[in-house]
Amino acid sequence: MTKVKICGLKESEHVKAAEQADAIGFVFAPSKRQVTVEQASELAKHVPVDTEKIGVFVNATIEEIEKTVMQVPLTMVQLHGDEPDELVEAIRVPVIQAFSIRSKEDVRKLENSKADYVLVDAPGTDYRGGSGRVFDWSLLQNATIDKKRLIVAGGLHAENVRAAIGQTEPYMVDVSSGVETEGRKDSEKIHKFIQQAKGGSMQETIEKKGFFGKYGGQFVPETLMKAVKELEQAYEDAKGDPEFQKEYHHYLKEYVGREQPLTYAQRLTEAWGGPKVYLKREDLNHTGAHKINNAIGQALLAMRMGKRKIVAETGAGQHGVATATICALFDLECVIFMGEEDVKRQELNVFRMKLLGARVESVTKGSATLKDAVNEALRYWVTNVEDTHYLIGSALGPHPFPTMVRDFQSVIGEETKRQILEHEGRLPDTVLACVGGGSNAIGMFYPFVKDESVKLIGVEAAGQGVDTEKHAATLTKGSEGVLHGAFMKLLQDDSGQVLEAHSLSAGLDYPGIGPEHAYLADIGRVQYKPITDEEALAAVVTFSRLEGIIPALESAHAIAEAEKAAKDMTSEEILVICVSGRGDKDMATYADKLEGLA
Amino acid sequence: MNRLTTLKEAGEKAFVAYIMAGDGGLKRLSEQVQYLQEAGVTAIEIGIPFSDPVADGPTIEAAGNRALKEGVTLEKVLLEMQQWTFEVKVPLIVMTYLNPVIRFGAERFAEECRKSGISGVIIPDLPFEHRELVQPHINKHDIPLIQLVTLTTMEDRLDEILKSAQGFVYAVTVTGITGTRDELSGEVKNFMKRIRAKSPVPVYAGFGISKTRHIDMLKDEVDGFIVGSAIVQAFHDNKIKEVEPLIQAVTLPHPV
Ligand SMILES: Cc1ncc(COP(=O)(O)O)c(C=O)c1O
Repeated sequence: MTKVKICGLKESEHVKAAEQADAIGFVFAPSKRQVTVEQASELAKHVPVDTEKIGVFVNATIEEIEKTVMQVPLTMVQLHGDEPDELVEAIRVPVIQAFSIRSKEDVRKLENSKADYVLVDAPGTDYRGGSGRVFDWSLLQNATIDKKRLIVAGGLHAENVRAAIGQTEPYMVDVSSGVETEGRKDSEKIHKFIQQAKGGSMQETIEKKGFFGKYGGQFVPETLMKAVKELEQAYEDAKGDPEFQKEYHHYLKEYVGREQPLTYAQRLTEAWGGPKVYLKREDLNHTGAHKINNAIGQALLAMRMGKRKIVAETGAGQHGVATATICALFDLECVIFMGEEDVKRQELNVFRMKLLGARVESVTKGSATLKDAVNEALRYWVTNVEDTHYLIGSALGPHPFPTMVRDFQSVIGEETKRQILEHEGRLPDTVLACVGGGSNAIGMFYPFVKDESVKLIGVEAAGQGVDTEKHAATLTKGSEGVLHGAFMKLLQDDSGQVLEAHSLSAGLDYPGIGPEHAYLADIGRVQYKPITDEEALAAVVTFSRLEGIIPALESAHAIAEAEKAAKDMTSEEILVICVSGRGDKDMATYADKLEGLA
Repeated sequence: MNRLTTLKEAGEKAFVAYIMAGDGGLKRLSEQVQYLQEAGVTAIEIGIPFSDPVADGPTIEAAGNRALKEGVTLEKVLLEMQQWTFEVKVPLIVMTYLNPVIRFGAERFAEECRKSGISGVIIPDLPFEHRELVQPHINKHDIPLIQLVTLTTMEDRLDEILKSAQGFVYAVTVTGITGTRDELSGEVKNFMKRIRAKSPVPVYAGFGISKTRHIDMLKDEVDGFIVGSAIVQAFHDNKIKEVEPLIQAVTLPHPV
């Protein structure tokens, strides 16, 4: 489906109006739509994470462009001047190069562009960057340009956009003056334009919403459908509401203590003798893991929906603690379901939750671990759905949970991207994160998914080994199925019974994986590797002694795989590990398993 | 499923009994079906055990776990039914979670259901929106997909579901999971009235029905009742006779 870009935004009201668009543009070149870097940065704070933020430049220097990309931050750059190929190629984010089309000669020029995308426009008059006049779309008919690179602009408005799409079948359409009234953006017109542009496939969009490829959906009992739909609507609204985003970021900063450093791991780098190793320090968050990023977002959303009771599941207890913490902060009633097995191995976290005022329910059914805790939480939600929000702890469950959890965790990857550009002036070569349900990993990966040069590796728990029956390596060994509201990958037997997962790490002990990961695995964008209990424990020791950071057992899986990945990398390369949490909660396990450590 | 419509026209009420296939061993299934049809039930729901039954309360979950321990699967249940030589006098409906069906393959599932003489399918975690995954396959063999509606189903959605309802409508009497209850909430009566006024097919009330007073309360508003946990528990405790008054309270024109 053709994407939509709304260009030349200057006011937050119009940024909000454009929330259904796929991209928005800020003009930094002289124009009546010009904004400063500071203005753009302020506006960008309230843009949904999956919307491209594109900066428009005319003959700017590479330094100016880079600085702006970093400060706003921008996800793409659009060039409207006579930029040489070297400049186009030097820019680190994807580049759109614009061409004014008068004749077939102009079409030839754009065919030779080095940019990732080419934008075609009618010739400008008052300033460079488009005149709003319509060009002759038929000129493009025989161009050898890959439609996947083509962006069409120039004189588009709600009435002609469908025809333009029909004739040119572009990757994206771009509009600016067509959604203005008397030289100023018009929210009504923005809505109308997006609706028209997406018109023919609107139904498809609605139906496909909540799916990642074939994975996802809303496979829940009818009693929950209303709650799930209400949540979908409420999240849509909140996502585009600058006030909501502001509040969420306020708590991340003032309560969680973000942003977290991207620490250069000097001794690890030396010991491994390969790439430069950086650590994203989610272990420094209040409560000790990434889980609180999501808990805050969802708790704010629950309150916005008028719900003051929270139910959640927890495996390692980190999500339970994060949820109990936020419930204490916001004075919400809190029930946490936790498998009996996990209650035993994460004793300290159970007490933490109780101390914070939560009710902890031990689940003795099934394998008495995370899967069974989710079952009980879902049953509790079915029974108390009218006044209770289910604050799910990973990128799992029925739509909109996987999307919403990803968005709330994307702060991890967004910070990392900004920080690595600051430290190294370029993107990393490899990024690793451990995968239980997949929330820290998707939060880390999502902002990098479109940066093809960045290799992404998710690390799952292989327990006692993927060839034994005791593992949690869903993508390595699993198959398609439905669990906990979503179509995803599962560990299951031939008759469709879900199997028990096994991992020493309670947070990775889950037989499914979030639908977006299943999709990213299918399309080959992310590789998933298994790490055994033993390998993870060894990494705990190495990491503690070399970096003075005792990692969570979950995070240690990512560290162990990083050591393997580092073997094939050179000192010119950069590797980033998401240290999803600290090891306090695992001290009893470490003391037990690493007994006799000298 | 025509039989159910005929009942409705005759003004009689239906009693649908739910049993967990393989609870106590798969061989017990035929005994249980024969017992129930002799006891006068209108139809029987054959529950398929599943590892993660999120719509079920403790009674049915425990029964499912017992059946799973016996090695019972969707396929084994359907094949077992194909071996039966006694006369099946009532419609049999399969109630299963979605994952076993996906694993088995929806097309093959439909085919085996036909061979087993199944008259309807209920999948509690397959919402109306995603029905295309299964419905076209079973409809090909004239087997309806029975939809659930609940106290939380919104009005426009209710209309949509009822408009294309097949077989009967499963109207859930509680905001919650299966399992016996002492009382049903007062709003249930109006809810049933509302659905029945709009439904082109019979409306059966289920979830939590376990006492004659539940039946007395709703009898005028629905076309039948579905009783699960009470029957599953009675079979497990070898006290199935104790459920007979409940069956009679529904099926006898004037309760004794
Ligand atoms: C520190 C830590 N890392 C990772 C995980 C795994 O969860 P996810 O895959 O959702 O990030 C957990 C879960 O409890 C955790 O506590």
